[in-house]
Amino acid sequence: MRTGKGAGEGSAELLIEGVAKRFGDVVALDHVSLQVAQGELLTILGPSGSGKTTLLKVVAGFETPDAGRVTVGGANITALPPAKRDIGMVFQNYALFPHLSVKANVAFPLEMRNVGRAEIDRRVGEALAMVELAGYEARLPKQLSGGQQQRVALARAIVFNPRLLLLDEPFGALDRKLRETMQLEVRRLQRRLGLTTIFITHDQEEALVLSDRIAVMNKGAIQQIATTTEIYERPANDFVADFVGESNILHGTMSAPGLVALPDGRKLMVDSEAAPGAKVGVLMRPERFAPGGINEFTGEIVEAVYLGTTFKLRLACEGGQELLVRQPARGPLPAAGTTITVGIDPEAIHVF
Amino acid sequence: MDIKRPHRRHVLSLVGGAAAVGVSGRAFAQAEPPKPTQIVVNHSGGSMGTAMRKAFFNGFEKKYGIRVVETSPVDFGKLRAMVDSGNVEWDLTEIGGQDAIRASKLNLLDKVDPKVVDRSKYPPTAQNPNVFASSVYTTIIGYRTDVFKGGTHPKSWAEWWDVKKFPGARSMRNHPTDNLEFALIADGVPKDKVYPIDFDRAFKKLDQIKPHVTAWWSTGQQPAQLLLDKEVVLATGWNGRFYDVIKKGGPIEIEWNEGALKQGSFAIPRGAKNPYWANKMLAELAVPQQQAVYASELGYPGLNLESLNFVDAKVKPYLPTAYLDKQFWISDEWYAENGAKAQELWNAWMLKKA
Amino acid sequence: MTTRAAWPALPALILLLVFFLFPVVRMLGFSVEAGTLDWYAKALGEGLYLRVFWNTFEIALLVTLFCLLLGYPLGFLMATTTPGWATFGFICVLLPLWTSVLVRTYAWMVLLGRNGVLNRTLMESGLTTDPLPLLHNFTGVLIGMVHVLLPYMVLPIYGAVRRVDPAIPAAAAGLGASSARIFWRIYLPLTLNGIFAGSVLVFVLSLGFFITPALLGGGRVMMIAVLIEQQVRETLNWPFAAALSAVLLVFTFAVYAVAQRFTQSEATR
Repeated sequence: MRTGKGAGEGSAELLIEGVAKRFGDVVALDHVSLQVAQGELLTILGPSGSGKTTLLKVVAGFETPDAGRVTVGGANITALPPAKRDIGMVFQNYALFPHLSVKANVAFPLEMRNVGRAEIDRRVGEALAMVELAGYEARLPKQLSGGQQQRVALARAIVFNPRLLLLDEPFGALDRKLRETMQLEVRRLQRRLGLTTIFITHDQEEALVLSDRIAVMNKGAIQQIATTTEIYERPANDFVADFVGESNILHGTMSAPGLVALPDGRKLMVDSEAAPGAKVGVLMRPERFAPGGINEFTGEIVEAVYLGTTFKLRLACEGGQELLVRQPARGPLPAAGTTITVGIDPEAIHVF
Repeated sequence: MDIKRPHRRHVLSLVGGAAAVGVSGRAFAQAEPPKPTQIVVNHSGGSMGTAMRKAFFNGFEKKYGIRVVETSPVDFGKLRAMVDSGNVEWDLTEIGGQDAIRASKLNLLDKVDPKVVDRSKYPPTAQNPNVFASSVYTTIIGYRTDVFKGGTHPKSWAEWWDVKKFPGARSMRNHPTDNLEFALIADGVPKDKVYPIDFDRAFKKLDQIKPHVTAWWSTGQQPAQLLLDKEVVLATGWNGRFYDVIKKGGPIEIEWNEGALKQGSFAIPRGAKNPYWANKMLAELAVPQQQAVYASELGYPGLNLESLNFVDAKVKPYLPTAYLDKQFWISDEWYAENGAKAQELWNAWMLKKA
Repeated sequence: MTTRAAWPALPALILLLVFFLFPVVRMLGFSVEAGTLDWYAKALGEGLYLRVFWNTFEIALLVTLFCLLLGYPLGFLMATTTPGWATFGFICVLLPLWTSVLVRTYAWMVLLGRNGVLNRTLMESGLTTDPLPLLHNFTGVLIGMVHVLLPYMVLPIYGAVRRVDPAIPAAAAGLGASSARIFWRIYLPLTLNGIFAGSVLVFVLSLGFFITPALLGGGRVMMIAVLIEQQVRETLNWPFAAALSAVLLVFTFAVYAVAQRFTQSEATR
C-alpha cells in the first residue's frame, strides 16, 4: 500500500485509525486507516461488499466500530451519535423527507440547530440558489425530477456548514448525461465551499473525474490510496490495476534489470528497478500501445469495436496471450481475422 | 302486522290427511309416514344438549333408527326467517316462553299432535296446543353459604331489598323480566297479584336496590361465577346453574321462596320437513322416567308431574317443581304484550345515573 | 382506470354487491317498511336512544384513543426491532384474535375482579387497602375492548412504520435531529395513514361491540349494538332495529369522512 502525497499530516481534518467492524463471521472493515485533508475530496472506490459503505456509516455514526477511532478536527467522535457529529450527508436515494417541502427539507438541519427564522430563510435561500433551485421552495420532493431531488439533498447537506460532507453513491440513479453535469457541479461546489468531502462510489470513471485522491477498497481493506493519476498509472496491485480502467495484466519474473521474463518465455523491456528474480505484475493500459513500440506483440484480431474516438481491439497473440488494445479511430475499422502487430514502450509499462 | 302469509303445506297435508281419515285414530296408527334418515332438533346447546342426548336423543335413535341432528343456538329471528322463506331446517326447536306465544300469534308453529304426544299428566297451564312445555326453570336467590350461615340469608324479596339486615354486594339480571316482579313483591304486592305490572311502582322500588347491585348479569353462567369469585354474596339466577355448582360442592345454596317460574318449551316450526317424527320426539320428551334423567342432570324437571317420582331423593330438593306453591309463574302472555315496552323502560332506567 | 383493467375486479364487485350492498339495502328497506319515517323519529327523537348512541361513540372514541396510545409504541417497536422480537410481538398482539370473545372476556374477569389476580396482588403488596373497581363498570369495558381491538391498531401502524425508508430517519439523525424530534417531525407524519387506518378500524369495530360491554360492564355500559340485538332477537321489532342500524351506519360514515379529510390535509402539509 502506498500513501499519496495529497494529505499533509498536519492538515488532516478527518482521521480514521484502525477501524474494524465485523457482522457475525463477515469482516466488513479490517483495521482501516486513512486521513482526509481540509478541503480535500477523497473518493472511496470499491465493488459492492468491499466495506466502503460500512466505512461511511462509521464516519457518519450509524455504525459503531469494534475497534479503532474516528477523529474530526482533532476531536474523537467515535462514540458520538449521528446527530452530534455535524456531518452533512447525501444518501444513495437522497432520503428527502417526502412530506416536507423543498424549503422545509433544506431548513430541517437549521431548525434542529435552533437557528432563528430569518436566518433560516436567508441560508435556505442561499443554499437553494447555490444548487440552482431558487423558486422551487414550495414543491414536494415527489414533484421534482431525479436531478432536482439530488440538488435538494445536496443543499440540505451543506446548508448548515458541516465540518464534513459525505456522498454515498449519489449519482447512481441519474442518467449518464445528468450524472456528468451533476458530478461537475458537485465538484465545483465542493471546491468553492472548501468542504472536506468523502465520496463513495463503485464507478471508477466517476472516481477519476471527481477526486483529489482515491482510496480503493476491497474485502474490508484499503488496497491503495493515491492521487487519481497515480492510481491509474501506478496501481499497487492486481486488484487496483484491474478495477480502475481497462488493463492487460501479466505476471512474470525479473530476469535482469529492466527485463521481465513472462511464463511463455517472452521477455519484456520495462522501466523498473525491481531486483532480478523478483516476481512482478506487469500492467499495460490498452491505449498505451502504439505502432513502433519497443515491445512488439503480433496477434489476430478476435473482436473489433468502434467507439467513436478509438477502436477497441481484442487480439489473440502468439503463445495464447490475449491483449486489449485501443487505437485512434482513423480509417476503416480493422476486420476480425486480420493479423496486426502493436508495440509498447518500456516507460508505458507499469511494473508492480 | 301482516301474519297471513301463505305457507308450504304439502308436507303437512300428509299428516293432516292421515288424521282426517283416521276418525277412530288407532286403526290407522301404523300408517305412519316413511322414516327419514335424520331429524333436526334445535336447542340452546351446551350442557343442556348433553343432558338431552343422554335423556332423550339416544333412546329415540335406538327406538326408531332415525338420527337426531342437534343444532344451536335458539334464535327467534332465525325461526321467523325460516318459516317466512319456506326453507325450514329444524324439525323441532326450543323456544322461549314469550317467543312461543308470539310465534303462535305469527302463525309460525305447527300444532302438537295430541294423538302422538300424551300430556294427560301435565298441569292445565302447560297444555298449549302449539307449544310443548319441556321443562321448568326458575329465577331464585343464590347465596354464599360461608357468608350467610345457618339460614341467615334473605328468604324473600323484601329481605333481599333489606340491605341493612343483609349487607353485601348483589347481582341481578340485566332484564326487566323477574326484576319487575321481584320489586313489586318486595314492595308488598302478593305474588299472585303481580300482573299487570305497575311500572312506576316497580321501578321506584328498583331504584332502592340499584346502588347495591354490583353486576347486572346478562348470561346464565354469570351469577354462579360471580358468587364463586366472591364478586357478590347474593345473586339471582337460574336454578340449574346454581345446582350445577352445588353438585360440584361449591359454597352456594338456593332460596326457593318467591322464585319466578318459567317453562322451557319446544315447538314444531310450520313447514318442518318431518312433523310426524318431531311429534314422536315430543312424545319421548313427555316420558316421566326420561324427564327424571334430564332433571337429575341439570336441575330442570319436566312438567309431567309424575317425573318427580323417578328422581333420586337427594336430587328432589333441587328441583323447582318440588316448590311450585312457594313460587309464582312469570306471565308469558303479559310479556308477549308488554315486553317491548318493559324492555325500553328497563333500558332507560339502567341508563339513569344511580 | 380503463374498462378493461376493471374486469379482474368483477368477482369481488359482485361479491360485495351480493353480500354487502344488497343486505344493506334490504335493511334500509325494513326501516321504512311502514311507509313512514316513524322509526327514525323514534331512534333520533327519544332521549334513551340518543343517550345510547352518544355512549357508544364516547366509548368507541376512548377505546380508539387508548388503542392508539398503546398500539403506536408497540407497532413502532415491532417494526424497528430485530426479527426475533418482532415475531414475539406479533404472537402477543395476535393471540387475542385466536381466542374466543368469551374466553378472553372471562380471563379479564378473573384478572380484574374484586378478588381477582390484580386486586389481590395490589392489596397484598400494600399498594391499596380496598379492591379497585376495575370490573362491572366503564373501566372494565375499556380494558376489555382495548385488549381485543389492539391488533387492529398495531398492524396498520406496524405496516406504516415498515414502509418508511430507514434512510429517512437516519438522514434526519445525521442532520442533527434528536430521537424525539425524529419521531415528531419524521415518523409521526409519515405514518399518519397507518394511524388513520388503525383508528378507523378500531373505531368502527368498537361501535358493534356488545358481548364485552355486557360482561365486563356489569350491565352499566350500554352500547347501541346491545339495543339493536334486543330489537332483533327479543322484541322482534326489525324495522326499528333497521332504523337504529341505519343511523349508526350514517354516523360511522360521517366520522370516517371527517377523519379522512383531517389526515389527508395533515399528510400533504
